[in-house]
Amino acid sequence: MADDTVHMAFFKEDQIDLAAEAIATLHSLGIADSEISVISGVPFSEKILGRPMSWTRVGLIGLAGAVVGFLTAQLLNIGTVIQYPIRVGGMPYFPIPTAIVVTFALTMLGLLIATFIGVFIETISPSFGPKGYHPKVSDGHIGILFTCPPWEDDQMHAAMKELGAELIHRSEVKDL
Amino acid sequence: MAAEISEIPILQTAEHSEEEEAQEHLMLDPRPREELNRMVMESMNSYTKKYWFFLAVFGLGAAVLLFGAWGNMIATGIGVSGKTRPIFWATFITTFVFWIGISHAGTFVSAILRVFKAEFRRPFTRAAELMTTFGLAAGALFPLIHLGRVWVFYWMVPYPNARWLWPNFRSPIVWDFLAITTYLLSSTIYLYMPLVPDLAMARDRTKGLRHAIYKLLALGWRGTEAEWFRLRKAINIFAFAIIPVMFSVHTIVSWDFAVTQTLGWHSTIFGPYFIIGAILSGVSAVVMILFVLQSTMKNMAYFIRKEHFDGLGKLVLIFSMAWAYFFFNEYILHWYGGEADIRRLLTFHAEGPTAWVWYLMLICNVGIPWLTLWNKKIRSTPWLMFAITMLINVGMYFERLTIIPLTLGHQRSMFDWGEYIPTLTDISIPVGTLCLFIFLYLAASRLIPLIPVWEVQEGQMAHRLRKVGKAKVPSVTELE
Repeated sequence: MADDTVHMAFFKEDQIDLAAEAIATLHSLGIADSEISVISGVPFSEKILGRPMSWTRVGLIGLAGAVVGFLTAQLLNIGTVIQYPIRVGGMPYFPIPTAIVVTFALTMLGLLIATFIGVFIETISPSFGPKGYHPKVSDGHIGILFTCPPWEDDQMHAAMKELGAELIHRSEVKDL
Repeated sequence: MAAEISEIPILQTAEHSEEEEAQEHLMLDPRPREELNRMVMESMNSYTKKYWFFLAVFGLGAAVLLFGAWGNMIATGIGVSGKTRPIFWATFITTFVFWIGISHAGTFVSAILRVFKAEFRRPFTRAAELMTTFGLAAGALFPLIHLGRVWVFYWMVPYPNARWLWPNFRSPIVWDFLAITTYLLSSTIYLYMPLVPDLAMARDRTKGLRHAIYKLLALGWRGTEAEWFRLRKAINIFAFAIIPVMFSVHTIVSWDFAVTQTLGWHSTIFGPYFIIGAILSGVSAVVMILFVLQSTMKNMAYFIRKEHFDGLGKLVLIFSMAWAYFFFNEYILHWYGGEADIRRLLTFHAEGPTAWVWYLMLICNVGIPWLTLWNKKIRSTPWLMFAITMLINVGMYFERLTIIPLTLGHQRSMFDWGEYIPTLTDISIPVGTLCLFIFLYLAASRLIPLIPVWEVQEGQMAHRLRKVGKAKVPSVTELE
């Protein structure tokens, strides 16, 4: 649908029911979920808006970071002693109790930093669905972006307006 | 339930008194998002003469009292600090423990209350998280100050020297470095992530350089379903993971003391005892910051209300009781054990020339909160809460003084006893870090939205007054 226009229908913050109804209407008019995206100033679960589940790899990336942190800790606990063994305080070369402390700190560091990196990478990665932004979103409005073939524009607009949506002209839709 | 339950919008008035009472709660006194944004932006943009004056005073205070005195100590030698045999850990380490303790509650308040979905947390989580970041920044300076030869600080970094000798990972001092670095990085990220939607809000309402900075920091935030989902997931991971990290940091700080054979320090209860003390002083510091924000920043009286002081007051009371429990537990076992040296140390704390420090500690940490905070009226009076929590922090500083220099001066051998007399440098540097903390906080208060607007709006959308029988009662809907 390369020639399709992105439309943006806005609902006020207290019109969440109407926004959900608008998405259902778009579905009934033949617009697929992949041609719709919702932007809002507060989080709404997919169930509320009748949308498919979002996915993210943030948890997995975080887990990978924890593994890297764990391995780094072992490198410091064991590897450094192999390189230059020093007996300290009558302890063995590889004392497990002290290794636990270093392992815990670095595993958690790996988990948390990787989680953040995961959020960052996913945020700057290309996303699917119609794109666009309007500052009204940060004023609490719920924006429904959708694309449709040009000959269906009027029908879609009429359906949205009937539900009380405010339609934003394409020229006002920002690209960030 | 037999009674009919029907949901009614808050703004439709039926019985005024009930609704007026309900509207004392932020979550039941909703305003349009546009107005919430305007209020927060106004508070960030109000640069009064008073603001610049205090910013300059605290900036100058940090420059002279902290960096000036520290610079003088580097140039002259650590002897100017008044540390002498047998007391080599004095106000620098005391203040280090104090700041690390303060930094605990920011994350504690935010993460624990988030995990348990305590709704009253919403307007002040960011103010608390900011306290953690700046408190840690202030505290992290002290190991460097205490080193003396600060130019070789990198010897603590896991990095080998020319002979491939690595730092000793069996030493609590290196654990400290790892734990504090982990906590500083993770709490800064934990502050930043929920800030992104509010930075986007600020981006949409600013121009010029500010706009460019907010645009960069907002990472192109639009508020799509995927972005919210990802943010939620990441915040949840952080909220759960940062709690054990928080506990580990102060436990490791306590091990700096407890793993030694020093009289009064070698105790298995030191870890939890330090954690409870840290949370007590930290939650108290959150109350102090909220009072200052509420009474000095524009529009903050709407966001920070009596209910928040009341809720935090209950937490302070609980942690004061917990602190007393741990303190007594530690005390009675030492006392009951009957070892002559430790008994002599306890007698010195309670009857020696510095006994006033010990008694003031107990009065501030136990007496004052127990006598006052059971009363809701007191808990709901912001200036009283400010006074009480300030005294608690004085008490907690005295607790650390008792544990560190006053304990080190009276060890096993009477021939090795000593008295610690702080010099100007010993006093100047800790006061300087307080100035630095206030300076950073003041500067940040005009640069980032201190109120998490989206979280407040989310909370307000989730709260409703419901009619149950003849009464209207607040109810919360799960929107996540």
